[in-house]
Amino acid sequence: MNEQPTRETTLRLEAVNLTKRYEDGVLALDHINFAVQSGELFVMLGGNGAGKTTAINLFLNFLEPTEGEARINGIASHREPLKAKQHVAFVSENVMLYGNFTAIQNLDFFARIGGKTDFRRNDYRDVLLRVGLPEDVHDKRLKSFSKGMRQKCGIAIAILKDASAILLDEPTAGLDPKAGHEFVRLLDSLRSEGKAVFMSTHDIFRAREIADTFAILDRGRIIMQEPASNLAGKDLETLYIQYMAGHNNSSVAAAGGIHA
Amino acid sequence: MLSTLVQKELRAMLLSPKFVATFAVCSILMLLSVFTGVQEYGAAVRQYETSTQLSEQQMRQETTWARMTTTVLRQPDPMQIFVGGLTYDIGRWSGISTRNSIKLSGSTYSDDPIFAVFRHIDFAFIVQFILTLFAILFTYDAVNGERESGTLKLVFANAIPRARYLLAKCIGSWLGLVIPICIPIILCMLLVGVMGVSLSAVHWGRLVTFLGISLLLFTFFIVLGVFISSLTRRSSVSFLAALVVWIGFVLIIPRTAVMAADQIVRVPRVAEIEGQRDGYAKDRWATFMEESQERWGSRCSLEELDESERDTELWNRMQEEDSLRRIVEKEIESYETRLQEDLRRRKAAQQHLAFILARFSPASAYQLAAMFLAGTDISLKARYVDAMTAYRTQFNDYVEKKQAETGSTGGVMITMSSESGISITTGRDDVGIDVSEVPRFSPPEYTYVAAVAPIIPDFGILALATMVAFMGAFIAFLRYDVR
Repeated sequence: MNEQPTRETTLRLEAVNLTKRYEDGVLALDHINFAVQSGELFVMLGGNGAGKTTAINLFLNFLEPTEGEARINGIASHREPLKAKQHVAFVSENVMLYGNFTAIQNLDFFARIGGKTDFRRNDYRDVLLRVGLPEDVHDKRLKSFSKGMRQKCGIAIAILKDASAILLDEPTAGLDPKAGHEFVRLLDSLRSEGKAVFMSTHDIFRAREIADTFAILDRGRIIMQEPASNLAGKDLETLYIQYMAGHNNSSVAAAGGIHA
Repeated sequence: MLSTLVQKELRAMLLSPKFVATFAVCSILMLLSVFTGVQEYGAAVRQYETSTQLSEQQMRQETTWARMTTTVLRQPDPMQIFVGGLTYDIGRWSGISTRNSIKLSGSTYSDDPIFAVFRHIDFAFIVQFILTLFAILFTYDAVNGERESGTLKLVFANAIPRARYLLAKCIGSWLGLVIPICIPIILCMLLVGVMGVSLSAVHWGRLVTFLGISLLLFTFFIVLGVFISSLTRRSSVSFLAALVVWIGFVLIIPRTAVMAADQIVRVPRVAEIEGQRDGYAKDRWATFMEESQERWGSRCSLEELDESERDTELWNRMQEEDSLRRIVEKEIESYETRLQEDLRRRKAAQQHLAFILARFSPASAYQLAAMFLAGTDISLKARYVDAMTAYRTQFNDYVEKKQAETGSTGGVMITMSSESGISITTGRDDVGIDVSEVPRFSPPEYTYVAAVAPIIPDFGILALATMVAFMGAFIAFLRYDVR
């Protein structure tokens, strides 16, 4: 699935014994470990409250880890957040940009704070066309955009930043099938450019279209992590539901023939 | 990076529809307030000039020094266009005579009470009440609004230092609000010039300082809004909090401070003072009358004198009585002065305490500073009363000197005689008098230094409050959960 041309791979995103216990005592992440290399699309599946967004927040240093590290390009984000964030772009579940700004004005602002100050209007136009936003909306205010259009703007911002790693927090939630398909196509092209992409999602169908690696997170623990190639021909949906239903590994393995 | 963030803030502010509406309202209000202020000032100047001429004319028409009185007027100050302060509450004129002490009468509000009901809207009012509210309304969601919309998370997914972001928030909000407000301010200045109000260099100095301190208050409320926004996660909460703080600073603290000072330092009311004075005067005059009767009784009868000596003796006795009467007047005056001094001392203590308490609010500090700069502050009355009192002494001394020179007493002597009938004598010199050398009243000078010196603590309070709000915002934002 999604064979990539041979290229030298580099570790871009790493979670090393990453643990987060909130002040109220809730253990959101419990010593999770995973790694995303350049040109790899890592999909983290999990239900609500599983800890997917917490993992992303730790990478972006919105939270301090209780234990372990979230590394971007080998830099622990809680130790050197500004340095680490130079190498990562982020697309949230519901991209909310500045509603009174046009698409180009939003891109210009986020490109500049992302350290890219050389772009011109044509560059913004090109990237908006690339993500599938027609020219007639480039100068329209974002408040008139649909969710799908805003998600595309979010991806355009990530593209402009040209970071080596991209974090996506349930980016396809609420998108219609066409928009979802276009979104997946965009991710595919980013992966082709060698970006390390980490995507948290509930959307198992979109995920299986594109993922290189799957992980299932449940109550802060990774209960399954497999390369997509290992799951070829398996009923991923059944596997996911069974894992989420708390089946033991043996019954899951019997159903899907895999191991956590 | 900083400039990018500042530009974004500016753009976000200027593109906001509420900004356009609020800015338009503020601009119209500013221009209207200055327009009406100039009209009021013009009317006050005309009234001042007319009344001064009338007073001069009355002096010229006087025929005896003994009856010489005059009226002095408070001179309008062009700064009252911008800061009405107490100018409309304090009387505009006082009579100058031997008998009555200085009492400013005829305030604008006593003449036209309708204005006292709703007060004038001046530039200082717009800054203190409207622009500060404007500042709060535009900054209460500066941080938490971005968190709610999700843009804060997106921004901090980039390598943005929090301190720089907050600084950009403050600078951007400040520029976004201040630059557009400069336009109506410039228009107001032009309006003042076009409507023919001439401002001296001192006035300009005071006006520029006033605008500077207005800007400082505006800055405080902008930073305060950012601070409150950094303390709360929801904009609805920060809106309520900002509104409560604004009401506290602008409306509650100043009034509470005055009420508290009134309870702590008791000051007798004017009626009490007048009652004490009248009581003393009544007693003193009663004593004088008793003594006078005794004196008249102890003197030899005029009938015993030759007819040629009788008039002279009568005049001498009357003059003696008159000089004793003057002594009594001086004593009453001296007693009243002591009462007034005590009243002023107590009032000053009460006022001092009220100002200290009120200055817990930067809005009050601003109001006090604005009034001091405009010369329409609480000491305006005292300045004029002092100047008029000094002038009264000068005037009375001059009149007494002239009276002595001409022998005019102003008294009326009625003589009833069975032989010569009734004769009335009004004085020795009932002829025209030259008033060209009578001292004229000069309004108290209000220099730039005199205007600026009292506002130094207020300036310090505003600067300190702004710094504290900024530091608070900074500390709160360093710990702010951007999720």
